[in-house]
Amino acid sequence: MQTDALRAESVRKVYRGRNSPDIEALSGVSLRISKGERIALLGRNGAGKTTFLRISSTLLAPTSGSVSIFGRDAIADPEAVRPYLAVVPQEGKPFMHLTPREQAYTYLRARGFSAETAKARAEHALEQMGLTEVADRLSITLSGGQRQRTMVATVISTEAPLLFLDEPTIGMDPFARRGVWDSFRELTRKGSTILLTTHYLDEAEALSQRLYIIDEGRLLAEGTADDLKRSVGGTLRVSVVSGDGITAQLATFGPLVRDGDTVHVITGPQRIQEILELAAHSKLTATVGPVTLEEAFLRVVGRSINDES
Amino acid sequence: MNLEPAFPLQRRSRWSGLGAFIGTELRVQLHEVLSIGVSVIVQAVFLVFVSVLARQYLPYTIIGAVVFSTFQIGQRVQNESAWIRIDHKLHELYHASPMTPEAYFLGMSIGILLAYCAPILVLSGAAEYFVRFSGTAALIFLGVLACEFVFTASVGYMISTWFRNMRSIWPYSTLFFNFFGVLPPVFYPLWLFPSALQPIILILPTAGGTALVEHASGLLALPLDWILIAAVSLVGGALLAFVGAVYWARRISRER
Ligand SMILES: Nc1ncnc2c1ncn2[C@@H]1O[C@H](COP(=O)(O)OP(=O)(O)O)[C@@H](O)[C@H]1O
Ligand SMILES: [Mg+2]
Repeated sequence: MQTDALRAESVRKVYRGRNSPDIEALSGVSLRISKGERIALLGRNGAGKTTFLRISSTLLAPTSGSVSIFGRDAIADPEAVRPYLAVVPQEGKPFMHLTPREQAYTYLRARGFSAETAKARAEHALEQMGLTEVADRLSITLSGGQRQRTMVATVISTEAPLLFLDEPTIGMDPFARRGVWDSFRELTRKGSTILLTTHYLDEAEALSQRLYIIDEGRLLAEGTADDLKRSVGGTLRVSVVSGDGITAQLATFGPLVRDGDTVHVITGPQRIQEILELAAHSKLTATVGPVTLEEAFLRVVGRSINDES
Repeated sequence: MNLEPAFPLQRRSRWSGLGAFIGTELRVQLHEVLSIGVSVIVQAVFLVFVSVLARQYLPYTIIGAVVFSTFQIGQRVQNESAWIRIDHKLHELYHASPMTPEAYFLGMSIGILLAYCAPILVLSGAAEYFVRFSGTAALIFLGVLACEFVFTASVGYMISTWFRNMRSIWPYSTLFFNFFGVLPPVFYPLWLFPSALQPIILILPTAGGTALVEHASGLLALPLDWILIAAVSLVGGALLAFVGAVYWARRISRER
């Protein structure tokens, strides 16, 4: 029988407030990740992504529920599973007085790799993260994006069987993000399993084989990006800005998805012309495009991923 | 061919990775040349101050200064560990790894000790010049310093985990300094302290340790029961603090 890399059952987390009300950050999250999968947890700020990642990676105790890693109980015996893990924490920073090269190398040495292996792996990871040129500069002199890349390089250089990355590409330029994505693909090809969190739709789509949408501590949807897009109910969307006044008419063309004062009509190619005419008739701006993960997210969560409320 | 397993899953012992992490912390700390230099200068200035004011107390002051600069390692452990946890979140890299939380705690402590051994060595040199220790006294001195380090690093590490932001930690550094260093007879001889409280104050590792070294080098004559009080609390305190810190390090490696 194939054991899952990660299995979570009904994980709940209530943060007990001392002088503030308790916060239920997770209300029963269950998921399964097979060996070698690349999975994204997609959600708005405050959805519970970090909480889930920290619980799964043995850094935070759940209020209830169970987590097993490669078939071992990670709640009862965190030490037994820790050797398999590597974690990029949210908003982590490397040692300011180490260079990226030293950071990755010393971390691998502390994890028990030989000097030779540590050197080779650190080198490879730095190259993948495009850090070769700054590899010998102290982190204190690096930009935020370069520091974040150093963190990712340090952690992926372990090639750990199960990697957790909390918003790994935050603060990176588009070019660097692509480097990170490539390195993740390479890691899963080599047999690692990856769970990452993100609130970038393009990242979740480009990178994950499957993704979970999380909101207010619950998993609301699961599937491939294509599955989720299909579930929206059409292949094209017509977005009508300030379309509130004509929602009743718009609804006759297909499912509606709202994003602030924009109304997206999900439909097929044959109805596009009519909707555009209707919008033009009401003097409203309308644009046409393929259905994206954004509409899927809006439909599932009811709010935009950038909605902070 | 490289026969090393792709991923070392078997931890050899609970202290695996300790050496490498000591190296990491030492490497990090040695950039703080200014801080290390200042720590030497501060103590030196203090000695000049005492030699002008009360030259007859100088040997006591120097011994106290060696003990206290060792003791201050704990303050640095406290600040460093809190900083790495709160600002860098690097502890998560090390906890979710084959390295144990206790190896992390001890590695950080020893790394800081090695980085900041300069003031301890300089002051020890001065102490030897003024006091001339016998072999036994030197051994006792060394043992006392070892206990001071273990105690203070353990307590410093535990304290560091109780806070969520750096600002609230600073006052504890002052408390450390005043409660363990300035108030009790560390920089001044025991007999200047209120006599009724003298055996009690020996319970403090700084005062007790200093008194033991001074006794061993003939600067003080402690009755046997006072020696026992000082020695038992020093060694017992160090052991207890260390066991407590190991337990605590393991426990907080997973937040609640
Ligand atoms: N240590 C904590 N104490 C109290 N509440 C917390 C703590 N950490 C997170 N929360 C709350 O739990 C919820 C989920 O947070 P988090 O898991 O960080 O979400 P995300 O990573 O998706 O942004 C939020 O409402 C957040 O305010
Ligand atoms: Mg988060």
